[in-house]
Amino acid sequence: MQSDGEIGLKLVDGMAAITLDRIGKEGVENAEKNQRYIDKGKSLRNLRGNSLDKSDCAVVIAAGPSLHRVNVATQLKSYRFDGAIVATESAMRYCLKQGIIPDLVVSLDPHAKRIVRWFGDPDLTVEDLKQDDYFSRQDMDQAFSDELRANDEMLELLDKHGKNIRIALATSASDAVVKRSLEVGMDVYWWNPMYDDPSTPNSVTMSLYKKNALPCLNAGGNVGAACWMMAHGVLGKRHVAVTGMDFSYYADTPHKNTQYYYEAIALVGEENLEKFFIKIFNPHLNQWFYTDPAYMWYRNIFLEMAADAECTTYNCTEGGILFGENINFVKLKEFLVGEACR
Amino acid sequence: MANVLKGNYTLNNPVVIEQDKDVTPEQLFEKEALKRLGGSIAFVAKQKVMWDTPEEKENK
Repeated sequence: MQSDGEIGLKLVDGMAAITLDRIGKEGVENAEKNQRYIDKGKSLRNLRGNSLDKSDCAVVIAAGPSLHRVNVATQLKSYRFDGAIVATESAMRYCLKQGIIPDLVVSLDPHAKRIVRWFGDPDLTVEDLKQDDYFSRQDMDQAFSDELRANDEMLELLDKHGKNIRIALATSASDAVVKRSLEVGMDVYWWNPMYDDPSTPNSVTMSLYKKNALPCLNAGGNVGAACWMMAHGVLGKRHVAVTGMDFSYYADTPHKNTQYYYEAIALVGEENLEKFFIKIFNPHLNQWFYTDPAYMWYRNIFLEMAADAECTTYNCTEGGILFGENINFVKLKEFLVGEACR
Repeated sequence: MANVLKGNYTLNNPVVIEQDKDVTPEQLFEKEALKRLGGSIAFVAKQKVMWDTPEEKENK
């Protein structure tokens, strides 16, 4: 069930084109620049079918707002989860603070300044903070709202643990992210995100492949979906649970704390925000959430990919709007003690 | 604006500003906002992982 969001729903259909317009050129340019770093890592091909010495199960940890409410790390530890843990770079701080070293971290967004913040930005200035309040507003990891302290903490955490972390790094990643990953000694596995169907004439994806010979992966619009794809499409896990994959906001989240607040105001005006945001009722939780066109797009394409996946997908987020056919919406505990993990 | 900002010089090459008369400043503002929406990376329907090109596969 969904309501309002009349304009937001119309925008969902344009998200694929808008995304490609915004990140396509930057991603490919980053791939060109990153060519000089490829030999500092390995090809993702080295992880193909690699169980990482873990069971047939994987848990994806993304950084949605439910992550802290569900106590994912505590449950993984207390139920002695023996599968692979695949985390978004945005969930790295959460994992490390909870004493969990993910088996694989994934990063792909080409943004020049924002993504490196999840790694600790050695060059972060007060001026940067004045120019971009994304992290101080955002609803994912509240610790990042105290930005300088969080940055210092992240620098320290990765300086200490980086050498023990395996990262699947997309060639689209920014110079800052690549340098930071290498500087802290991460074990880098390179791959190309798909930009288009490689079998089409003049395909950007195929052209990248011919230049760097790195595997190309359909990243599904966002890093959380890419983690899920890594878990089954690369590591070959048969049972993949996702956590922190809300693709939405809790009903009591102020609009100001959403990722596209300023854009929403520019498009519809403060008085019409109800038309931009889409309200969705989650029948598994008997609870309302609201979402924006980008998250709604993520949800739709995830459902499309899940229908075609060679794994069983469990959504253990215990929140949010990712439910539908081919998704087992269960509590994390049920997954961890269930048949799949035995 | 031209009534307020005036220079005491003459340009050798006069600047001609081409404006689309059909586009209002509000529409331009919306267009810019739209450009900033979107996801982190592309999505390609019906694709998973491409390990090799079809030709490479054939040669294996």
